[in-house]
Amino acid sequence: MSYEQDRHSNHISQSFNEELEQIRTELLTMGGLVERQLSEAVEALVTGDTDQAEQARKSDKAINDMEMMIDEQCTLIIARRQPAAADLRLIISVSKAVSDLERIGDETSRICRYAIELADDGKNVRGFQEVRHIGNLVRDMLQNCLTAFARSDAEMAYKVAKQDKEVDSEYRTAMRSLMTYMMEDPRYITSIMNVIWILRSIERIGDHARNMAEHLIYLVSGTDVRHSSLKEIKRTVREVEHKK
Amino acid sequence: MTMEAKTHSIDISALQRQNQSLRLEDETIALTVRDLELFYGDKRALHGVTMDIPKNRVTAFIGPSGCGKSTLLRCFNRMNDLVDSCRIQGQMSLYGQDIYERGVDVADLRRRVGMVFQKPNPFPKSIYENVAYGLRIQGINKKRVIDETVEWALKSAALWDEVKDRLHESALGMSGGQQQRLVIARTIAVKPEVLLLDEPASALDPISTLKIEELINELKKDFTIVIVTHNMQQAARVSDYTAFMYMGDLIEFGVTDRLFTNPEKKQTEDYITGRYG
Repeated sequence: MSYEQDRHSNHISQSFNEELEQIRTELLTMGGLVERQLSEAVEALVTGDTDQAEQARKSDKAINDMEMMIDEQCTLIIARRQPAAADLRLIISVSKAVSDLERIGDETSRICRYAIELADDGKNVRGFQEVRHIGNLVRDMLQNCLTAFARSDAEMAYKVAKQDKEVDSEYRTAMRSLMTYMMEDPRYITSIMNVIWILRSIERIGDHARNMAEHLIYLVSGTDVRHSSLKEIKRTVREVEHKK
Repeated sequence: MTMEAKTHSIDISALQRQNQSLRLEDETIALTVRDLELFYGDKRALHGVTMDIPKNRVTAFIGPSGCGKSTLLRCFNRMNDLVDSCRIQGQMSLYGQDIYERGVDVADLRRRVGMVFQKPNPFPKSIYENVAYGLRIQGINKKRVIDETVEWALKSAALWDEVKDRLHESALGMSGGQQQRLVIARTIAVKPEVLLLDEPASALDPISTLKIEELINELKKDFTIVIVTHNMQQAARVSDYTAFMYMGDLIEFGVTDRLFTNPEKKQTEDYITGRYG
């Protein structure tokens, strides 16, 4: 059965349509919030702006609230509507995507915390170049991921999975450089360790974005592509395109 | 733009307010039941039921066969008066007025509290005459008024588009789902305040059932609806409040969302999860 964008708006029950549309919209709203928090965190880190880092850290509360709210709505829809097929997959994928978004929020808050520590330290730390670069890559992944959810676009989700590979490889390179910096000047070990934790969080955000992309592919194709290779994901996405 | 405004420009609290669930305390109450006991001869069928049914909401009664849900429903428009051995104690009122008080005009009560049964029971007349019937009984004879009301009722029952070109054909030629919607149109034509539905969709196919459910959702804007259903999922889909009854007792009554996700009583949980009943 091919998956159409407006699949969720053709029920006899108008309120069921509205409920499904609403959880999808709220997922995107929450995604927007997380995306902005991430941009602000990376920006605050690079510019050493502790106020901005503090503000970004505070939006974690709103993100947590949204997670609980959307999850509750998913529970209610399951209890009241007994959704099946694409409707059920929508609810399951939204519920899982929301967890990933919340985890991204947590990682971002952690970045903010280290950013504040680094700024307070006042030392001129190396490694920000790498953070900015990988941070931008990951933000782009998150954006693509949300676009994929907005358009039910499996091809876009596949692109996100591919980007994660790139992030992983950039992360390894950055780690090597940071190791070298530490060996060159042991006085910077503490602050460079903070940068490493930040990079680690950013890399984890990339993993969560990839998870979300996999949930979207499950929604659209009905195939669970978690723990699959890029090649297998590509095949699944091609099959979806073929059915259209 | 200041940082404060930038970070908090998505107002989560507005979303939360929008999703807030119903509370019985905030509702206007249409029907009140106090310590209602009902006997069929010596057999006590309802054991001191007390509940408030809110206005412009859908309230569902669920429970296994013989638990008294239909019996309770029939009390709301005194259908049980027709059963000789039936005796009632306790109080039941519609907007504060005692339904069982001496001197209550039962015909008028049944106009205010309309009822639709399990099997569609259209009269062997035309579609138009079926809907106009209640108006004619009330002595309304002006053709323009009747025409307008018939059209309004059929539109409200989501049937107008299907029948507007054959209003004067026999109602018996319609499908079961259409007949049931016609009966609903006939009931609402006399502008009742409360609509009692006794398993309105149990004789219908799944699509007609969903159409009736969608209709119920529309009708609650204008009417207070009480529905008895064997189908728990239907209660979950259509109702705002749910009452679970068992062996003549009201076990639990509350907001549907809560009752189906986190019931207070173990008996309710066992029933809705299919462990007994």
